[in-house]
Amino acid sequence: MWRITWRRFCRSKLALVALAYIGVVALVALSAPFLAASKSSPIPFGPNDVDVANRLHPPDTQHRLGTDELGRDVLARMIHGARVSLTVGLIATAMSALVGSFLGALAGFYGGAADWIVSRLIEIVLCFPFLFLVLAIVAFFGPSIWTIMLALALTNWTSEARYVRGEVMRLREMEFAHAARASGARDYRIIFRHLLPNALAPVLVSASFGVAYAIVTESALSFLGLGVPLPTATWGSILSSAKEFVEYAWWLIVFPGLAIFMTVAAFNIIGDRFRDALDPRSE
Amino acid sequence: MLTYVVRRLLYGVLTFFGITIAIFVLVHSVPGDPVSFYIGSHGMGALSHAALDEIRREHHLDQPIPQQYGWWLRGIVTFDFGTSFINHRPVTALIAEKLPSTFMLNLVAFLVAALIGVPIGLWSATRSGRTSERASGVAFFLLYSLPSFWVALLLMQLFSVHFHILPLFGMTSDDYLDRGLTSKVADRAMHLILPVVTLAYAQMAIYARFSKSALTEVIRQDFITTARAKGATSAAVLWHHALRNALIPLITLLGLTLPYLVSGSVIVEEIFQWDGIGRLYFDAISTRDYPTILGLSVATAVATLFASLLADILYAVADPRIRLEGK
Repeated sequence: MWRITWRRFCRSKLALVALAYIGVVALVALSAPFLAASKSSPIPFGPNDVDVANRLHPPDTQHRLGTDELGRDVLARMIHGARVSLTVGLIATAMSALVGSFLGALAGFYGGAADWIVSRLIEIVLCFPFLFLVLAIVAFFGPSIWTIMLALALTNWTSEARYVRGEVMRLREMEFAHAARASGARDYRIIFRHLLPNALAPVLVSASFGVAYAIVTESALSFLGLGVPLPTATWGSILSSAKEFVEYAWWLIVFPGLAIFMTVAAFNIIGDRFRDALDPRSE
Repeated sequence: MLTYVVRRLLYGVLTFFGITIAIFVLVHSVPGDPVSFYIGSHGMGALSHAALDEIRREHHLDQPIPQQYGWWLRGIVTFDFGTSFINHRPVTALIAEKLPSTFMLNLVAFLVAALIGVPIGLWSATRSGRTSERASGVAFFLLYSLPSFWVALLLMQLFSVHFHILPLFGMTSDDYLDRGLTSKVADRAMHLILPVVTLAYAQMAIYARFSKSALTEVIRQDFITTARAKGATSAAVLWHHALRNALIPLITLLGLTLPYLVSGSVIVEEIFQWDGIGRLYFDAISTRDYPTILGLSVATAVATLFASLLADILYAVADPRIRLEGK
């Protein structure tokens, strides 16, 4: 099944471009300490190196993407910002996928009271504007990368839970599940060994959208000044300082925004095409 | 029908309690003395122990947790969210004061998004498989992936800084009060354009995608094939059979959009200095004005609850399959 899905996924050129782009961003993020650190690195600036003589300098051969209001190199800050965006996106989504899959599996497998409780819980979370909850959690517990990831996970587990609930409900009535039960497997073994691995595909679709959500929301928090604390470079925080210089520093607006947009779009496209590849009706 | 509505309402009441308990638990898990919720952490050092005890008694903080929850809930159902400790005014009054400007902004954005998005989505569903359908699908996705705060900055840069045709931010110009009526209306409209565009483009993409998939879903069904088979023209099939069924699911968007709109308002109002609910909330977060944060959270969550109840009931009215499901 995975091979067929993969082949159908590859039929979309756009999806492959998106996947390749994410690969490049991940590589850049991983090699950030070597790419942009000091005078000897390929980009001869660290993210917090201050070049006082060249504050708010437009892009030129020295500073490829210009400098910010303190004279820091925008390209170097963006390379390091990729680390924050990807870390927050992936870890927050992993947390919400774990919680969502677990609760969704319980609800789908046992039905009845378990299903009722999980469904009400989802309903409650969906009543809150997600940004209200995220802002409140970050403000109450202090802005750090961990509270941000926690807040994102808390607002986003519902989509995974709904997907898994539906899948598990369908799968538990299938023959292999009955066979596992007949051969004496316990509930947790049926859920974790037999049902959840088969529900993995929809979780991955939802997780791909989840990463996009987490990245754009983390950037929004940084933009609003409640993100990962300064002086850590994030894409959102570069945009946040651009707010003050909207009148002349176009490079502070265009480049980090483009990075956020393309990364978010890539994860959204991958999720969408993967979902299409899983859907037999999309032929 | 009545049983369905009653059951749905009962669930709504339960969800309401769930919402209040969730907020109460969240607030009580915050580290620090709960008294600071009522007077602000800056005021605590200045007060004597006796005065602090007095405040604790006044706000029922000397009582067990369940009783505290009871007192708090009583406040909520009587629309008493306490007093903001930044400007010492009732939170309810603050909300009532800021609500109209947020409402106006979101209503215009919603209308723009729905009136453009839904027809585009329906149109692209009828062109299934063609290049224009595929291209529009990708375009919706790209539009939806654009971060609103970035779009806002680009719009400001382009239309306010570069071309000087639209105001940078605010709700009215400085000389607003001295103007005549038509000039006032025009001034308001000019200030609305950029925030509305920023709020509307992503919603538009969502409505387009949603109505596209709804119509595509309907077109695949047997009764459409039947209608075609009996010789109806494709326009007639679309208008009489497909469209009515495709538009029903749009009702569910009503319940889903509200929290999304409010979230969008926080960012847009903060950037464009629009004096509404979103900015009130963000200011409350920045100054740790707990009563305002709590009041707004409860108020928006309950408003969403009502919207989704209304959407479900409307859906059942429009689609008999839903209300007969339980029987």
